[in-house]
Amino acid sequence: MRFVPGPGKEAAEAVFTFRLNAQEEALLLATLRLYPVLDNGHHRLSKDPKTAGSAEQRLLEDSMAQQRVAHRKKLDELFHAPQRYFKSAPEPNERRLVLSSAQFEWLLQVLNDIKVGSWVQLGCPELEGAAPLKLTQLNARSFQAMHLSGQFQAALLEAVK
Amino acid sequence: MPETAAPIAVPHTDKEQKPKSKSRPDRGYLVICWNDPVNMMDYVTHVFQVIFGWPKPRAERHMLQVHQTGKSLLVRETFEKAEHYVHQLQSYSLHATMEREE
Repeated sequence: MRFVPGPGKEAAEAVFTFRLNAQEEALLLATLRLYPVLDNGHHRLSKDPKTAGSAEQRLLEDSMAQQRVAHRKKLDELFHAPQRYFKSAPEPNERRLVLSSAQFEWLLQVLNDIKVGSWVQLGCPELEGAAPLKLTQLNARSFQAMHLSGQFQAALLEAVK
Repeated sequence: MPETAAPIAVPHTDKEQKPKSKSRPDRGYLVICWNDPVNMMDYVTHVFQVIFGWPKPRAERHMLQVHQTGKSLLVRETFEKAEHYVHQLQSYSLHATMEREE
């Protein structure tokens, strides 16, 4: 998946366009179907143990839960009508993923939930300079999801570099 | 107008009775982003730019501080604003918390 530079800042509303092939589209959709991955209990308002169970901590958890429901609803719309996001392209076997600014931020958040959630499922391993993770049947799916979501996220971020 | 006169007759409104922790006017709450090995540097920079409206060099400076020292103090704010920022940062799955300034 690659960013296609658009008209730039003079455009009335920022639109991000990415070119991708049919296999990448299928992989992106399969990855997004994993959402949500990050557990609601992951979110902590403070490192102060006294805030655990506080009204503010519950508010944060409620807020994240509401966001999850809203993200999931948008994802269901995407799965129901992928043509609203994926447009045909002149090149054979190619598609265009077209996102507004809001959709761009939404997709980043969804992909990062999958990425961070998968990393947590793997036991929060060090990733740089650490010994390779021992893959098993149980953790292979999380490993794959973490890397795939990271790849798509990196492709999206090319648009704002 | 009676609608505007009525609240004046009520000495203590619900708003005034909110717990002190919810209405502290002081900017003694620190919003801190903590390092983790999973979030990409470009991603963290982008999130700081979006949430705080910072220019890229400032966002990158904080991102590098997180990466190199393990954490970065992003803003010092009132309770409500700090709470808002932590919600925003966590909506992007960043490891961010708010801490009372010592």
